[in-house]
Amino acid sequence: MRRLSSISTCGGFAIAALLWAAQGPGTRVTYRVRVVQDGMLELARGSVSGPAGTDLRFALRDDTAEVEALFQIVPEGDTVLVSGEFYTKRRLGRSRRGLGLWEQDSYRRAVRLAWGDTARIHLFGRPRPGAPPGDGLWVQVVLVRGFSGGEGRPAEELQVLDSTMDIVLEAVVRPRRARVVMNLVRGDTVSGPRGFDLVPEAPARRVQMAMAGRTTTLEIGLARPEPARSARDRVLALDADVVCLRIATPEVAQPVGVVCGRLNDVARRLPLPGGDTLVATFAWPAGR
Amino acid sequence: MSDSHEHWLKQIDAELDGEMSLAERALLAKHLANCSHCAGARASQLEVRVALARSAGDPHARVVPRPTIRGRALAFWAVVALAVGVAGGWLAHGRWGGPGGSLEDSRAAIVVH
Repeated sequence: MRRLSSISTCGGFAIAALLWAAQGPGTRVTYRVRVVQDGMLELARGSVSGPAGTDLRFALRDDTAEVEALFQIVPEGDTVLVSGEFYTKRRLGRSRRGLGLWEQDSYRRAVRLAWGDTARIHLFGRPRPGAPPGDGLWVQVVLVRGFSGGEGRPAEELQVLDSTMDIVLEAVVRPRRARVVMNLVRGDTVSGPRGFDLVPEAPARRVQMAMAGRTTTLEIGLARPEPARSARDRVLALDADVVCLRIATPEVAQPVGVVCGRLNDVARRLPLPGGDTLVATFAWPAGR
Repeated sequence: MSDSHEHWLKQIDAELDGEMSLAERALLAKHLANCSHCAGARASQLEVRVALARSAGDPHARVVPRPTIRGRALAFWAVVALAVGVAGGWLAHGRWGGPGGSLEDSRAAIVVH
């Protein structure tokens, strides 16, 4: 009886773990992408993967057209709803003074498919009736999900086989946490680096940084940037991996300053009231 | 080919100068019936000679009229060109569509396979 009970308990835990992994934050989503011309000629292939909630930013440009799209997925049971926001530009000709004339368009498309199904995106419209199968340029996307293994960072891979086209595949992940490394600089003196894992929009945190026998107390908090001004930047989520570090001192009620940047390990500087300079770099947090 | 034409051009000169026998003229006429190039050259020679004769004061000199395209032939080729144009346009429209087209047709479409 006890043995039966332990088996059923173990089975329950295993099923619960499986469900959590399939639906929860431990899931990793992969977009496998191929760009194909006329059903035979492969122009590019690649993949983009990231934690659940990772979007795919795709762009294709040549001399006559430009297509940019952001694909987002919403898992629902065994199916997934794929929606795409498209921004396109097509060259119509030239003006009398020799300048290129372009037609700009934006729209949204959505389709439901099962995990592992293939979605074929005809970038310039459906093939005409009577046209050969696979006619025209299309993008093939296969959506796969799996266990993340604790990896929270996105990964991108792209192989462009036709250099006449500019093709971009990017993972768009809104970070849940960010690794912030700070140094204080005063003349030729630099303090030791202090690293913090910060969560956007969490309450500010008080930190102390020592340099040359003097301690500086700061209140730091991470925030999302202001919404992008242009509709294109907003829809394509061009600032998805940007975070802003708000810095204040306990003595002054107003923030001393804000440093914004992508999670790309590039150092950004902010002068502090006492004459010191704060250098901050943002990065993806290490996997757990 | 060009050597042959050179020969016949000399023959045309000789004919217009009245230096050819009847048999040679018959041979030249037979060639002119089949060679548009030489026939045109003969007409040009005649025109030049008429112009020279006029400038020399001969009031009876006349220009030899060149053969013109007949109305029926012109109408036939016009109809053929029109038919080829219509058929080509029809095929091109079926293959690539017309200029412009509707905006919705040019937008991206997602198909599940």
